[in-house]
Amino acid sequence: MSFDLFLTNLLYGLTIGSALILIASSLSIIFGVMGVVNFAHGSLSMLGAYLGYSLILWKVNFWLALVISPLIVGGIALAIEGFTLRPLYSKDPLLQFFLTYGLAMIIGNLVLYFWGADPHGIDKPLSLQGPVSIAGIFYPKFRLFVFIFSAVLSIVLWLFIARTTWGIILRAGIHNRELVGAFGINMSTVYTFVFALGSALAAIAGVILGAMRNINPAMDLDLVVGGLIAVVIGGLGSFRGAVLGALIIGLSESFGAQLWPGFSKFSVYIVMVAILLWRPEGLIKEV
Amino acid sequence: MASGRVDQGSMMGWLAFLKKYSGWIVLVCLILFPLSAGTLVSGFYISLFIRIFIFGLVLLGFDILMGYGGLASFGHAMFFGTGAYVTAILMKYVSPSIWVGMGGSIVACALGGLVIGYLCIRSRGLYFAFLTFAFSQFFFLFFNSWSFVGAADGMAGIPKPTVGFGIDLGNRIVFYYFSLGMLVVGYGVARHVVNSAFGRVLVGIRQNEERIAFLGFNVQRCMLVAFLLSSIYGGVAGCLFAGYQSFVSPAVYHWGLSGEIMIMDLLGGMGTLIGPLIGTAFVIYLGDFLSSWMHETWLMVLGALYVIAILFSPDGIMGLMKRITHRGT
Repeated sequence: MSFDLFLTNLLYGLTIGSALILIASSLSIIFGVMGVVNFAHGSLSMLGAYLGYSLILWKVNFWLALVISPLIVGGIALAIEGFTLRPLYSKDPLLQFFLTYGLAMIIGNLVLYFWGADPHGIDKPLSLQGPVSIAGIFYPKFRLFVFIFSAVLSIVLWLFIARTTWGIILRAGIHNRELVGAFGINMSTVYTFVFALGSALAAIAGVILGAMRNINPAMDLDLVVGGLIAVVIGGLGSFRGAVLGALIIGLSESFGAQLWPGFSKFSVYIVMVAILLWRPEGLIKEV
Repeated sequence: MASGRVDQGSMMGWLAFLKKYSGWIVLVCLILFPLSAGTLVSGFYISLFIRIFIFGLVLLGFDILMGYGGLASFGHAMFFGTGAYVTAILMKYVSPSIWVGMGGSIVACALGGLVIGYLCIRSRGLYFAFLTFAFSQFFFLFFNSWSFVGAADGMAGIPKPTVGFGIDLGNRIVFYYFSLGMLVVGYGVARHVVNSAFGRVLVGIRQNEERIAFLGFNVQRCMLVAFLLSSIYGGVAGCLFAGYQSFVSPAVYHWGLSGEIMIMDLLGGMGTLIGPLIGTAFVIYLGDFLSSWMHETWLMVLGALYVIAILFSPDGIMGLMKRITHRGT
């Protein structure tokens, strides 16, 4: 493999990985704080992508769509949390997983019903079309944008978790929910906030990934499985783990497709099974 | 007044009779049903019932694992698919006898169940669900790209199954009785298993694993046996499916099927054996009814029903019926 090819694959892997960070870290925080493995996370992300697609089709500016679509998805997530998840917090965590599976079926088929089975492309803004030259290779501008944008957003998210009062509550909630509640903090509000924020992040990832590749009704499974595997590799509930897992997935996807074409999809599952059998709690245990 | 009370009493007697023998009444109805085919109903219902019997077998095994043992597998389609593919390959290249396919399916699924079960039962809850999901995705991706079995296009040209004794299993009505017989045998075995000491230990593990281990039972071995049993049920059902359809595609390994198996179990009522059978019949009938005008998007309705069931009746149709009859008396 020549250096140019290596660099292209490295950049592409980091691009996918950094977009996946948005999905994996929100999935991980939702699990850490609420104890819910949200199987509908990819569906909400897909819904965000389709809403963005329709908004841009109605002549809404790309950047505005990138703001409006996550807001709508966040609103839907508020309703989902309030009406379906809240009655189940005191019950078996498996029931919550089953519930989000049902939600994923509903959202996935609603998308199929309203937008059809054909894949669509999201129009990129003019300023981000065409290639850009980096260290002797040509790389699509939009991919570079996805990489930088998701990396910056992930850093902002990390600063939010590490430096703000809200972040302290979140981290404390991951360690011990009851104790945080005993300090007089309304955990019910925290749950609602976390679920809505996480879903909005997933929607942002859906729009930028959809614009980078395409949008289709099967992308929900790809996104949620990618996110889940990243989270499981990194350690459920760990932000740093989710970042690490997402980058591993992104790189194994880009290099796997290059080195082992046709079987690259296996590599992700092999990595997941191997790590789950070796370290059932994932690689990183701290938040 | 007196006569009214007697009437009420005899009503109760009738209800008790119906309740006690409801299983036998349903069975007799199912046996008599094809005799009316062609006059009362079309062959459409025959094939609908055959599918219900086949998936009912999967659900019997799955209920032992999830309903009694408390292990929620999110990849159970892998055994159904293995049974279907092994049967398809054996029937096409070795012998059209369904017994050869069934034997091969049982051996393959028992071996697969032992290995995969051994690896998966070391984890519990959601980790178990993810591990089984990952393994079933291996199978799906593998059969989706293996050209010998037609890759994504699936494998056609499977001969009509023979069963010996000069009986033609290619006939739909004969296949109806054959699969009904398998379901009845499967139900008998499953009922025997859950009523045995082993079944009680399984329920005990679901309720309090530490206590059962403390009592001196080998928890891992019990879990492995439950996993093995459920995989064999899946294999036999897959074998019937391949024999019935004369065509298999990687769809038999699809994660959506694993999800539907979970839904059937929960909708019917986990840990009752009868409940999952009702759930199977309900989901398959609903799917046929709705997909005739909603196509794939009928799954939206199934998803909504599933969500409603989890929120309001997590013990499924069986739990709902129990509450209604208890309120009545």
